[in-house]
Amino acid sequence: MTQPLLQHLCQVLYDSHVGTGIRESDNAFSVIESVHVLSVTLLVGTISILDLRMLGIILREIAVTRIARSVLPLTWAGFVMMAGSGFLLFWAEAAKNYLNPAFRVKVVLLLLVGLNPLIFHTTIYRRVSEWELAHRSPWRARVAACGSLLLWSGVIIAGRAIAYF
Amino acid sequence: MKAKLSVLPLAFSALLLSVPAYAHHSFAAEFDGTKPTRLVGKITRVEWTNPHSYFYVDVIDAKGKTTNWGCEGAGPGALSRRGWKKGDLKLGDTIVVDGYRAKDGSNLIDARRVTFPDGRSVYGGSPGDGGPGDNGTDQGNLPGAAPKKD
Repeated sequence: MTQPLLQHLCQVLYDSHVGTGIRESDNAFSVIESVHVLSVTLLVGTISILDLRMLGIILREIAVTRIARSVLPLTWAGFVMMAGSGFLLFWAEAAKNYLNPAFRVKVVLLLLVGLNPLIFHTTIYRRVSEWELAHRSPWRARVAACGSLLLWSGVIIAGRAIAYF
Repeated sequence: MKAKLSVLPLAFSALLLSVPAYAHHSFAAEFDGTKPTRLVGKITRVEWTNPHSYFYVDVIDAKGKTTNWGCEGAGPGALSRRGWKKGDLKLGDTIVVDGYRAKDGSNLIDARRVTFPDGRSVYGGSPGDGGPGDNGTDQGNLPGAAPKKD
């Protein structure tokens, strides 16, 4: 095997029955794409509400924790649907995606956008009771909010760009 | 939890409504509408794939030199609706492809009309992709077709 292991795995996925079936389907591919886009809007739309609240732009009179409680279940539902549909699309195109520069950028951004809430929830959010009522959240929370908005925008832009390489 | 459960049926009903025609990328992103091209050659490879299909033909020029050209068409769903089925193109078949050349000068064309060995022609482009004469239907305009009032 002269090709890298990762590329080989992508090729195996690409050649599999499921991957080929989706790739050559009359309708499944576009249906999965639609689910993917809808779940991205659910995820990014809901998490943006929390991000904008922490930046002090919207809903300033409402406690950050209250917004987080109502928004995060929807965000997670969007995430599960997004990851599932995204994997099916990758399954169908893995060998091509492996070589696609926009896809590579998207994977890096996805890793970073996953790291962001991990850091946020294990640091500044642990002390949220001290600042949940502040109209503008502490700078660490605002950095996380900006990071979330920017990285998710980047993920969407890179994802859309996959079609153009 | 209650919120999570209510989202799924909503999203699934929304997706049922969103199935029809989905143009992946526009014509202008990849092809040059001022460069109509006709290829006559033998099929060497077929990729019946989403979001676009590709097939490849060996074209022999006047000097006897063979060049392999790629032809990009709509996805399997759109082609099937126009009566072009998966097995219609066979390796070695001689076909005529009318389309427009890729902007980057590579040997790739947007296959807007494909003429099979039996003489049948199928519109191969993506409806509503904004290519020359495209009217947003699966008829489109074909290079070399009777001139239209512009």
